[in-house]
Amino acid sequence: MASVSEMYDVTWEEMRDKLRKWREDNHRNSEQIVDVGEELINEHASKLGDDIWIIYEQVMIAALDCSRDDLAWAARKRKISILKAQGKSAEAIRELNEYLEQFVGDQEAWHELSELYINEHDYGKAAFCLEELMMTNPHNHLYCEQYAEVKYTQGGLENLELSRKYFAQALKLNNRNMRALFGLYMSASHIAASPKVNATVKKANVKYATWATNQINRAYQLAGRGTKENKCSVKAVEEMLESITMS
Amino acid sequence: MGEVELSCLAYVKMYLHACLFPRCSVNGLLLSSSPAGGAVCVTDCVPLLHTHLPLAPITQLALTQVDVWCAQTQQRIVGYYQANACVSDSSPTPCALKIADKIAEQCNNAVLLMIDGGKMSPDYRVPPIVMYERKDTRWTLKDKHTIMLQQWEETRDIASQLLDSGDHSLLVDFDSHLDDITRDWTNQKLNAKIAELASPANGNV
Repeated sequence: MASVSEMYDVTWEEMRDKLRKWREDNHRNSEQIVDVGEELINEHASKLGDDIWIIYEQVMIAALDCSRDDLAWAARKRKISILKAQGKSAEAIRELNEYLEQFVGDQEAWHELSELYINEHDYGKAAFCLEELMMTNPHNHLYCEQYAEVKYTQGGLENLELSRKYFAQALKLNNRNMRALFGLYMSASHIAASPKVNATVKKANVKYATWATNQINRAYQLAGRGTKENKCSVKAVEEMLESITMS
Repeated sequence: MGEVELSCLAYVKMYLHACLFPRCSVNGLLLSSSPAGGAVCVTDCVPLLHTHLPLAPITQLALTQVDVWCAQTQQRIVGYYQANACVSDSSPTPCALKIADKIAEQCNNAVLLMIDGGKMSPDYRVPPIVMYERKDTRWTLKDKHTIMLQQWEETRDIASQLLDSGDHSLLVDFDSHLDDITRDWTNQKLNAKIAELASPANGNV
């Protein structure tokens, strides 16, 4: 199929100017806007300078009008990627939030948003995103494990206990997830070492930590048998586990 | 303050780590096999993460394991490096400062090294790094003249060679190790390759 520029013998500048005219005159000729806009974005994005933002918006709205969800999403996604690459996290976060209000089921977007929040050290909001993901993907061990890591980072006894539970859950879903195994070991150890817990809780957590230690040792023994390469890392883990005593 | 020397091995691995994950922020630890006191000689580095740098558990785990390995091999952790995903901003992030602070608790003249992504073009003439040292409680920019890179041009060429040959994919960081624990985060194999390229037999010193 011929491109717009070929069919109408126009340059990209003329296409851009046409879009501007349609914006100014408030035309809702969505199909035309989609045709011209899509080509402009795909072929000439780098030449558009600051105009690109408003063109994305215009194309997005027109695309939704024409039920071109793919284009609407592509335009929005590209805008968010650019914002991220420019280090404009706050704007990227805002755009993603707006997008998710409409497309609440988009997993990739929720995950993207959780990553952005983590980088901004907004762990509460990151946890919220991961909770959404866990709800819709209860069998995904990675979401459980990431949620546990966020909780651990937030700190405090309650969060540590939650993190331990979710590391354990991740392991149930995938017993080879080493991050979850180490996470279980570390969260349980910290809880056991806390002066705020009673003897029963302490005992239980020592048990969890010991179990994790054995699993870790086993995993490394198995791994070490294969190659000479990771001799150093195996030794480091062994010593680490030995040196941390459960009192 | 004091002088800092950066070895070929440390620089090449840091650089390759940043190249291996161009769209991510990466970080790692700087090690020294020299005794404390006097100039800081960074003789090696351990690449740590390329995902979720601000999250605590894996960072803590890595710090502990590297500590243990250092004790076994007569090395010390003397610094921290990071390369930001966003190349236009090479300033230390809050998590970089936090980890660097922790290292400074154990090591007096610890250094914080940021890789400047904006300066990493194929024909860069100066090392694309910015160093910070601790003065009182703040991390301040270090005078470029106190940073020594022996045989800079040879070092840079070794890094390029490894990129061209695809050998940079040999590099294992702690994140990759957790994905597959048969992979060695001490990078013995890559170290050997770098040593080989740096040996006098190859015309480099």
